[in-house]
Amino acid sequence: MTATVALDPHRNVPGVRKPAFPDTLHAEWIKFWSVRSTFWSTAMLFVLGAGLTTLVCALAAKDIASGAAGESPLSFVTWGMMFAQITAIVLGTLAVTTEYGTGMIRATLAAVPRRGSVLAAKALVLTGTLFVAGTVTAFAGYFGGNVFLDNHGVGVALADDGVLRSMLGSGLYLAGLGLFAAAVGLLLRHTAAALSAVLALVFVVGNMAFLLPGSWGEWTAKLMPGNAGSGVATPLSFNPGLLGPWTGFAVFSGEVAALLAVAYVVFRRRDA
Amino acid sequence: MIVARDLTKIYGTKAAVDGISFTVEPGRVTGFLGPNGAGKSTTMRMILGLDRPTAGSVTVNGHRYADSSAPLREVGALLEARALHPGRSARDHLRWLAVSNRIPAARVDEVLGLVGLEEVAGKRVGKFSLGMGQRLGIAVALLGDPPVVVLDEPVNGLDPEGIRWVRNLARRLAAEGRTVFVSSHLMSEMALTADHLVVIGRGTVLADCSMPDFIAGHASSYVRVRSPQRGEVADLLRRQGLDVDVSDEELRVQGLDAAAIGELVGKSGLYLHELTLVRSSLEDAFMTLTASSVEYHAQEAGIAR
Repeated sequence: MTATVALDPHRNVPGVRKPAFPDTLHAEWIKFWSVRSTFWSTAMLFVLGAGLTTLVCALAAKDIASGAAGESPLSFVTWGMMFAQITAIVLGTLAVTTEYGTGMIRATLAAVPRRGSVLAAKALVLTGTLFVAGTVTAFAGYFGGNVFLDNHGVGVALADDGVLRSMLGSGLYLAGLGLFAAAVGLLLRHTAAALSAVLALVFVVGNMAFLLPGSWGEWTAKLMPGNAGSGVATPLSFNPGLLGPWTGFAVFSGEVAALLAVAYVVFRRRDA
Repeated sequence: MIVARDLTKIYGTKAAVDGISFTVEPGRVTGFLGPNGAGKSTTMRMILGLDRPTAGSVTVNGHRYADSSAPLREVGALLEARALHPGRSARDHLRWLAVSNRIPAARVDEVLGLVGLEEVAGKRVGKFSLGMGQRLGIAVALLGDPPVVVLDEPVNGLDPEGIRWVRNLARRLAAEGRTVFVSSHLMSEMALTADHLVVIGRGTVLADCSMPDFIAGHASSYVRVRSPQRGEVADLLRRQGLDVDVSDEELRVQGLDAAAIGELVGKSGLYLHELTLVRSSLEDAFMTLTASSVEYHAQEAGIAR
């Protein structure tokens, strides 16, 4: 039997400290951006969000100006963000479920056994990307759409009530939505199942809840994640039955945090 | 060094690993052998802290894997070759792993060269053949230049040249003083690679011994002797200090070759009807040892009615 190899894990990194959270974060960042689906989802988010806002403003400007639309121009300057929500959900789901679908999760947890760090790093990369992409997209849509509104004399200024808030709010809402989808993905570990569940909850169940009778029905509808969270992303909602923008966002954040906490506990205990 | 003590994993009511204990020493290749479904991969996953043991413990270098601050620099593992995102390039896959454990970036190209993938490093791994995926998995295992290397079925999908390459690599790593733990369901492969064997079946350890001991104990050859005077022949041979087993029709004699036995019997004037050297291979020995523990037996001749 020969001499054993030195066990010092630092031996091939002269003078460097132990890996810590920033390294986990950097590793997750590389993982996130080194698959094509991230680029395409982010590009789709921009095209849908900014493009559809511009398009609907161009088409509706005349009716808004004449009063035939019966809505304030403020309701239109973030219109496309409704569709950008879908890509945020896709991005959040895929960030987690592809690891389970491919078995990558084992490589991830073998490299970083501290599961809380892995989850925190994933969440930061995802929310950071979605916040920036969502805010930039909202601004682009506003500037694009406002050109047509201005032409018909119904343009809105950034300083107008809620406009600037809705730009940043779009980033915040998409980040929260992505995180919500990631938490569901972590619980269900299956792309199709997680995507269907979140899309159904936000777009179908959320809207159907408004049909529920009585005041408990009204509150159920108000508290549904998509309904509570989306108010902050628009200067003036088409739907008068929603919570105030920041109240709603606080409710939504609480729901995301609760779901994420459950996902974390399950993730910690479960075999990879 | 890897130490497992009463390691147990129960899924539902079924024990995949049932209280196994073994030690994997540095400086030699330890083969982890067992039929499919014997609990090899489950054990491997528990070593890496991916699955939580139901009872018992397993440590690497004296502590739990999950307690390591830079695990890839302590233990390199090939788990499943396909634990990869098909859309990511080989270099990107190694790059994020290196970053996560503060392994110098230069090491990425080094291991790509080591496994012979430098020319396809920028290609997406979904386009890789099974053998290329396996080579990438080995590159991952070697990334942190670890003193402990764990390889789960490393030769799966490799061509003969690749198989020889893995065999030599395992032997070289052990010669450098590393702890090398290699699982396989092929006895023939292990016979050429391993110095020490841990054989498991249905979640329990069936054998834990050196390769020469395993061969001596399980793959012995004997001389088959048939004679109408079976009893006299047996007595004669026993008097010479030979090991004689009497079964229905034949004697199984160990300790002397066929020619010498023939001469001995001939001298005493007894009749012989058959004198044959019977060799049982290591593969046979492994099959015999694990026969009762194989999960799913193939039906011999189609569907029995």
